[in-house]
Amino acid sequence: MHESSVVGQWVSAPGAEDIVTGKARYCPDIQLPGMLTGKLLYSPHVRARIKNLDVSKAKDIPGVYAVITHADIPGENSYLYAYPDQPLLAVDEVRFQGDAVAAVAAVDEKTADAALEAIAVDYEVLSGIFDPLEAMKPGADQVVAGQSNVMMQMTYTSGDVEAALASADVIVENTYRTQWAEHAFLETEGGVARVDDEGVVTVWSSCQAPHRDRMQIARSLGLAESMVRVITPYIGGAFGGKDEAHVQIHAALLAYAARRPVRLIRGRRESMLTHVKRHPMIVHCTTAASKDGRLLAVRARVIADAGPYSNATHEVLNKFGEFIGGPYKVPNLEVEKIAVRTNNPITGAFRGFGAPQAAFVYESQMDDLARKLGMDPLEIRLLNGVETGTQLFTGVVVREGRAMKASLRKAAEMIAWEKRDQCERSPAGHLRRGWGMATILKGAGLGRGLADHAGVLLEMHRDGSLVINSAAADMGQGIITLMAQLAAERLGLDLSCVRIDRADTAKAPDAGASCASRQAMVSGNAVLIAADEIRDTLLSLAARKIKVSKDRLDLRNGRLLVDGEIHDLTVQNLAERASVWGYPLHAQSRYHLEYPDDAPEVAYRFSSEFFQFCTQIAQVLVDCETGQVKVEKLVAVHDAGKIINPGGVYGQIEGGVAQGIGYALSEELVVVEGHTLNASLENYVIPMALDFPELDIHVLEMPELAGGPLGAKGVAEGPIIPTAPAIRNAILDAIGKPLYQLPMNAERVLAALNP
Amino acid sequence: MNSPQYIAVESLGEALKIKQEQGAHARVIAGATDLILRMRDRVFSPKLLVDLRQVSLDTISCHAGEMRLGAYVTLSQILADDEITVLFPALVEACRQFAGPPIRNLATLGGNIVNASPAADLVPPLMAYDANIVLASSAGERVLALAEFFTGPGQTVMQADEILTQIRLPLMPPDSASWFIKLGQRRSMAISIINLSIRLTLGAKGAVSDARIVLGAAAPTPLRAVAAEALLIGKELSDQQVDQAAVEASRETSPITDVRASRNYRERMTQVLVRRALLASWDDLGRSGRNE
Amino acid sequence: MSEMDIHLTVNGNPHKVQAEPAKTLLCVLREDVGLTGTKDGCSSGDCGACVVLLDGRVVNSCMVLAPQADGARITTVEGLAVNGQLHPLQRAFAETWAFQCGFCTQGMLISCYALLLSNENPSREEILIAIAGNFCRCTAYQNVVKAVQQAAAEIRERGNREGIPHA
Ligand SMILES: Cc1cc2nc3c(=O)[nH]c(=O)nc-3n(C[C@H](O)[C@H](O)[C@H](O)COP(=O)(O)OP(=O)(O)OC[C@H]3O[C@@H](n4cnc5c(N)ncnc54)[C@H](O)[C@@H]3O)c2cc1C
Ligand code: FES
Ligand code: FES
Repeated sequence: MHESSVVGQWVSAPGAEDIVTGKARYCPDIQLPGMLTGKLLYSPHVRARIKNLDVSKAKDIPGVYAVITHADIPGENSYLYAYPDQPLLAVDEVRFQGDAVAAVAAVDEKTADAALEAIAVDYEVLSGIFDPLEAMKPGADQVVAGQSNVMMQMTYTSGDVEAALASADVIVENTYRTQWAEHAFLETEGGVARVDDEGVVTVWSSCQAPHRDRMQIARSLGLAESMVRVITPYIGGAFGGKDEAHVQIHAALLAYAARRPVRLIRGRRESMLTHVKRHPMIVHCTTAASKDGRLLAVRARVIADAGPYSNATHEVLNKFGEFIGGPYKVPNLEVEKIAVRTNNPITGAFRGFGAPQAAFVYESQMDDLARKLGMDPLEIRLLNGVETGTQLFTGVVVREGRAMKASLRKAAEMIAWEKRDQCERSPAGHLRRGWGMATILKGAGLGRGLADHAGVLLEMHRDGSLVINSAAADMGQGIITLMAQLAAERLGLDLSCVRIDRADTAKAPDAGASCASRQAMVSGNAVLIAADEIRDTLLSLAARKIKVSKDRLDLRNGRLLVDGEIHDLTVQNLAERASVWGYPLHAQSRYHLEYPDDAPEVAYRFSSEFFQFCTQIAQVLVDCETGQVKVEKLVAVHDAGKIINPGGVYGQIEGGVAQGIGYALSEELVVVEGHTLNASLENYVIPMALDFPELDIHVLEMPELAGGPLGAKGVAEGPIIPTAPAIRNAILDAIGKPLYQLPMNAERVLAALNP
Repeated sequence: MNSPQYIAVESLGEALKIKQEQGAHARVIAGATDLILRMRDRVFSPKLLVDLRQVSLDTISCHAGEMRLGAYVTLSQILADDEITVLFPALVEACRQFAGPPIRNLATLGGNIVNASPAADLVPPLMAYDANIVLASSAGERVLALAEFFTGPGQTVMQADEILTQIRLPLMPPDSASWFIKLGQRRSMAISIINLSIRLTLGAKGAVSDARIVLGAAAPTPLRAVAAEALLIGKELSDQQVDQAAVEASRETSPITDVRASRNYRERMTQVLVRRALLASWDDLGRSGRNE
Repeated sequence: MSEMDIHLTVNGNPHKVQAEPAKTLLCVLREDVGLTGTKDGCSSGDCGACVVLLDGRVVNSCMVLAPQADGARITTVEGLAVNGQLHPLQRAFAETWAFQCGFCTQGMLISCYALLLSNENPSREEILIAIAGNFCRCTAYQNVVKAVQQAAAEIRERGNREGIPHA
């Protein structure tokens, strides 16, 4: 193939001009005639019985068009990620601070607020259950009556851990704790809904999974899915936090009840109190090695606080277990995964899906092990790292694993790892500098046995312009750009000739959720298949017209090429011809992430087949008197398989690192007895521009042809995963004291220094 | 939130008259960066907002040994003023570390004082410079030491009919140095875990003739650590003096535990940071001594 | 409660709106003037998504009440392009991927635009200070620095070439 003119190039995103001019419409910007403001009433208690709920006064307020409670939901009163156990509107009990009891729609915000105030709820406050360790004890008070507080408990074993521990030369054993973390997407959750004269419900939803939204909305309205249409306008970030449904279903219920359009947008505080958080986990981990540094066994037990409802808890813990071995050859491994119900905030999907917590554990263990053995952190990682062909403890064989060691070596080179001791270790009496690394693997794709496919529809017009209809939600991660690039590349078009609309279930087939770093692979491949179908038609026509065989032809920059030479015929000429002769220039395709036929049966459920590898090394400066940690420098080396859209890849890495730094040092929802005390961007402390280190990014291209388009892999999740352990290990290097709890805020660092 | 009425008065007298008639029902609105949030949380629900932006309360001038700043002077104005930069460096540093540029363009000096947050960043430096404030009412003016203004979180001695019009900063005596330190959770957009400002003045024989140590977020109101100051006054500076004063300052605090930090951490940090600020000022004084 | 007449000049165009005094400038711009480019990320001054120029100064429009802005000149993101021509900053933001989701972008653009009005060649540190009140969750800040420097260079060059004052 010729050198690419679109793929791998820095191109502006389709829609970028709308964004920089302020024209791009997000949910809160949508304005429909007669539109009402929707609002939800939440319980002030984290656990209470609803003795009486009276909405009659609210209904009487002029300007209030709908007030609904659980009794008014025509269909199912529950969310449905995997288990339908969270009600949309509480029935007889509230179980956490984000349980809503009623929804209203009114002419404006003020009237809606008045309606909320006029709703009378009589609660009998119950004592809540907040400590997962207490909650999991037999006989504990049940968060959901009749159901065990232990939401899941599963153990996976590979090899003989007991025997390996008995024969090991060194063992490190520690308990780690992680926090509730907040996505803080800048656009809060929102939905706008309208019911038209035919009864079709259209919902504009700030979401990651439009088709799953459609299913849930139809299910709760008691309608056929064909009567519901979900459109994603521009979306202001998601990071997993909009994978699970939020208020779009309520907006639809309200619009249905009011028979007027309704817009429901969460305020910042409301958002922080109600949507799923990253699971806090308590992980006990034992890692054993021989005296030459080879890993012999890992045993881990994780207890995760799930809050009262399932959400993505099972899936997150599944991924935690899958990645707890890290990118290492671990001959014996046992992982026990326990999730516990409490009256704390609900927890679910967040960039990395359990892998950031796992990486904090295994990469901390690696450094503790290296210290015990007197080995260099780089050396022990290179010694144990997986390679192409390594069988992981899950049973999966790594098909393309060069990037594991390549990323370690490259990162070490970029930061001059070997020469770090020539740097000033203590620039002042109270300051200590240190360096730490972490390297990870993360699957891309949902995993074996799960429906991991995407469809897409392409149509070329007689003037050669192309429309892509895809229902893959773009929350900013750049999937739209990637699809446009791939189609342009295959059809020899300039990017400006490709139009791609935002996801719309009425126009495009199901593409599944934008999560698990999967869309680049599934939707990317689907676009290639469809584009190739159109390409084939164009080339066949050309071949017939100029009487040369098809394999000598190509399309580029809007022109036909014959043996690489520009021909008079343009793509537009060919498209016109096709139209005149009646050849279809539209194609629909569907790509299913296939697990290759030769893949062995694998014991670990839903295990991934394709992996992103990355290494980060942090240089930190610790103020030993205040405990403050400054990340001075960070290098990040990521494996993208092949770079299709560099702007998106670099942006994802930088943004992931920024989130990782926050996760490592300052981000923590302070939850006391089920109530979040810092539900604001003022007090939930996310690093800002001046806190950002000097960041050096390198992207490796080691194409994995069995996976994504042209060998590309998803990079969305990888970047956030190694940052916290890299910083933890750098702090260890600086002050000689290990930390076992996130975030490593100033007080915790000081406590480590002065136990 | 029930909307209050709003009036942009054309003279101070008009505002004072309104305050006399309506008392606490009428509230002064300056940059509104505190007020909007308080009204939304219903901490106050004024009936009338009185805006004095047309009354020239945003002027900065120097009068016989004293800098006069109008209550409506914004942080950005202070940062842009060359004289203040030279004369009151700790105040300027506090402004530099305050929120971010868009808030600094709105927030006013007077609002930061009257809001009476224990963590207000500008108050420690102002108190370290012995600021006086001018409270006006229809009965006249009174001038008050800023140190006597605060009675608790959000509480002051300002009467319902009074308006803060001016902040007066006496110039520091020669051979003085001042310093500001803010400990926050990030480098911008942070509310202080602890902030503090100190001023040291050396006497003729090189001993400390006067000292101010003012701590924020360390007690229900901004706090002068007078016992620690006393340990320094009359003595020549030494490492030991500095350490003792730092320990003493931390003993004088009575901080709370909140989402930003624990009581214990605040106490410890007071000691660490007072020491740092004293050493830095001492350094400044030493250097200027040598240069002369 | 009673509404007030508020006169604003937004991106050069005069507007007269009626608003309750407690309504923020952000809401007035979005709801009454109909310019939704300015975003609401927190309504509490913390995120910078709502930043606009008010009489030439950057401010959080969620922290300004409508009557406080009476008589003011406001510039929003919609006012940066002139006669359909993107401002060099806008182009640079798009070209360097200084954003992903774009929800922070209008506020970032305004903060950077204000910086370039007073500084024709800002350093990395100066840019970071200028955007210290603008939160970006997707992309962080490195590409913003790149974009601002690229735009600054273009403006300087154009200024020199065309003999026009910078920015
Ligand atoms: C995002 C954000 C970040 C912040 N960061 C910081 C920070 O880093 N450090 C810090 O200290 N504070 C910070 N604050 C708090 C606030 O910005 C400051 O306290 C500011 O100085 C208040 O000034 P203002 O002009 O906005 O006051 P306003 O909100 O207008 O007024 C505050 C109070 O004072 C009263 N008042 C104002 N002026 C007068 C007067 N002349 N006479 C009588 N009463 C008066 C008002 O009625 C009101 O009760 C922050 C606030 C926000 C929203
Ligand atoms: S919306 Fe104004 S600062 Fe966030
Ligand atoms: S691009 Fe999404 S917040 Fe900045």
